[in-house]
Amino acid sequence: MKPDEILHKELLAAWEETYKKGQLTLWIFLSLKEGPKYVSGLQESIDRFSKGTIHAEEQSLYRTLRKYYHLKMVDFSAGKGHKGPDRKYYHLTPLGESLLHSFVERNILLFFEEPLKNLLTKNP
Amino acid sequence: MKIITQNLLLYALLLLIYTVLFRFGLSSLLDAERWVWVLVIAVAYGAIIFVTAWMTGKRDGMNNFLFDAGFRWNLTTGLVWGGASEAWFLLGFHSAHETIRVVHITLLIWSGFLILHLILFLILRRRTIKGVHKTNIFD
Repeated sequence: MKPDEILHKELLAAWEETYKKGQLTLWIFLSLKEGPKYVSGLQESIDRFSKGTIHAEEQSLYRTLRKYYHLKMVDFSAGKGHKGPDRKYYHLTPLGESLLHSFVERNILLFFEEPLKNLLTKNP
Repeated sequence: MKIITQNLLLYALLLLIYTVLFRFGLSSLLDAERWVWVLVIAVAYGAIIFVTAWMTGKRDGMNNFLFDAGFRWNLTTGLVWGGASEAWFLLGFHSAHETIRVVHITLLIWSGFLILHLILFLILRRRTIKGVHKTNIFD
């Protein structure tokens, strides 16, 4: 590998590491917008939606969901487990839904507008 | 989200054990007039409290997202130390070189620091939403 390629790889990894911090909420909310999910299901959704670029540990998800539950952004209901005890199926509350809507509108949708859209898809 | 957590109770229990051992060691060494060892166990007692508080506090922070700026640990330290020390004197286990006045003066100073800590917590609490620090909500 050429030195420039190594530098590119290293810088990309460092950028992604910083970029991914704070991303978990968006992925959790988007996955829950798809429908209620238990923790393992949520983990799978995040992995699927992010094409494997975001991996959330189960413990980390439990902790985050407890926090969001406390802050009234998510709620849960008991549902049948797969050959086991009942599971907690998490879903977004109206507050969580409106928060996601506002966040996406203010921070994500602008990437779909011209000329940003063209810049993002334009190859070097 | 609880105020009294398992980690806080574990800390209180360990602190109580350390304090009883420290009081026993201190009174015995004072009676024996072994002044250097008095200093040694006092430093060791302070160090072990610090390490235990740091470890249990860190563990608590991993499970509990309640922001308290360490106030619960400080208050617990004062209550357990004060309670155990008062009981030590009331039960008459203290050395002839010790007076309960030292415990009362220490508790008075400690109360002053606790009030300052509480004020600091109340100021920092403005940066929380429902008890969770804003920087820890979307971490």
